[in-house]
Amino acid sequence: MEACMDFLDRLDPDILLKIFTYVDDPYDLVRVSSVSRSWRHFVIANGLWKQLCLRKFSQLSRVTHVVELNKCWAVGAAEVGSSHSKEWEYLERDDRAYALLARASTTFIDRDCISKAISASSTDNYPEESIYNTLHPTDNVLWRTSYWSSKGQSNPAVPETLVYKLADDFCVITEINLRPFQVYFHEGLPIYSAKSVRFRMGHPKSPTDSGNDLLGYSLPDSVDDKFIWTYTSQEFPMAQESHLQKFRLPEPVLCVGGILQIELLGRVQRCEIDGLYYICISFVQVLGRPLSPALGVEILEPCGKFVLKIKNDRPFELQAQSNHTVTGSVAEAS
Amino acid sequence: MSSSSSPMQSTGRKLKLKSKDDETFEVEEAVAVKSQIFKYMVEDGVSNGPIPLPNVNGKTLARVLQWCQKHADPTITEDELNKYDAGFIDVDQAVLYDLLMAANYLNIEELLKLACMRVADMIKGKSPDEIRRTFNIKNDFTPEEEEEVRKENAWALGP
Repeated sequence: MEACMDFLDRLDPDILLKIFTYVDDPYDLVRVSSVSRSWRHFVIANGLWKQLCLRKFSQLSRVTHVVELNKCWAVGAAEVGSSHSKEWEYLERDDRAYALLARASTTFIDRDCISKAISASSTDNYPEESIYNTLHPTDNVLWRTSYWSSKGQSNPAVPETLVYKLADDFCVITEINLRPFQVYFHEGLPIYSAKSVRFRMGHPKSPTDSGNDLLGYSLPDSVDDKFIWTYTSQEFPMAQESHLQKFRLPEPVLCVGGILQIELLGRVQRCEIDGLYYICISFVQVLGRPLSPALGVEILEPCGKFVLKIKNDRPFELQAQSNHTVTGSVAEAS
Repeated sequence: MSSSSSPMQSTGRKLKLKSKDDETFEVEEAVAVKSQIFKYMVEDGVSNGPIPLPNVNGKTLARVLQWCQKHADPTITEDELNKYDAGFIDVDQAVLYDLLMAANYLNIEELLKLACMRVADMIKGKSPDEIRRTFNIKNDFTPEEEEEVRKENAWALGP
């Protein structure tokens, strides 16, 4: 007997859910939602997009709920038999939000995400050697060497931190690159790298004190107490070499709040002139994908949980224009 | 009809199982406890007399017990097990679903995972149409719905 064995009907929900947890690629889940009404219904009813995103980005466990701004398109023809209750609306909205997030984080192309340099824990010769200099890729800017230097310490274990504001308060970060500065005008060409680095991401403590007043001033001293860190990376060893060193995060991380801190742990180079240990960095780059204009967040203090906002659910035409190359991902249906 | 008792050392006790279509099986405890259900029964000492399994038919139970036997074998290497699993799960859909449901009912986690991943593999990398053909699913979208879905998902459905 030739059976129409749509296994959605045959198998228990818990088995089905288990099967779909192994369908982990966003491209596959899109196709699953396009198979039939009941398959699409299953995807929405069981929050499969949310489950997929939660597996990729554990930071999403802090989402309280989803809101949709400027809902600019109606849901497609009403599904026969589907409930029009509020709960279904919420499920559909969640489905849209997380599908959007999966798509954006998969198809957007990495680019430099630093918007402004906020502060360094200490700065030598402020403002000539301020953190602002780390935004310039070349060492020589306007006939002047461009690098940030910490103050000197006799104890090489004293760490430093650099804090940056990112281009968006909601982005996927994949890699951070640092170039230690080699002081070519000192004998021995010393390289003032750190022993190791670690990265934190988070948000300003209070929305009013959103760091806006701090932005772009490249402050000489730490403003650590103004931020809350919700993600801390592993420690990465740093080489005492003057080329651009790449620190790829083991998994892409969602930065919620748009603030990134680089911790420079341990000093390796002593200055021959004053006998103190310094750290000097000439260039910093943070690679990732800002999720605007598609999605945004609103952080709820003091718990640190946040609201996920759908700002524009057709953002990809805009994104295609701003990408250098489009990986064939925004093909309109013919 | 097959009994899954094998000529291994008769050090362990045996469990008697009865499928829903009244086939009986004898199986070493060490093999049966791959199923959490039997594990608890053995621990609680309630494994006298044939255990009725109204949710599993004889053919499927035979297969499942074969799998348990292989996986309870201490001499088998991981490589051999992987090869065995790959062959074991390469079955048609009806058998696969029976295995899925039996593994779920008998709470055999590794077998359940193996079967679930197999179904997932049958879905991955396929277009919606290919998925429909594989699982014999009717496309019940209206033409308008289909167009809407296609537009929304062009980024992943494109050539």
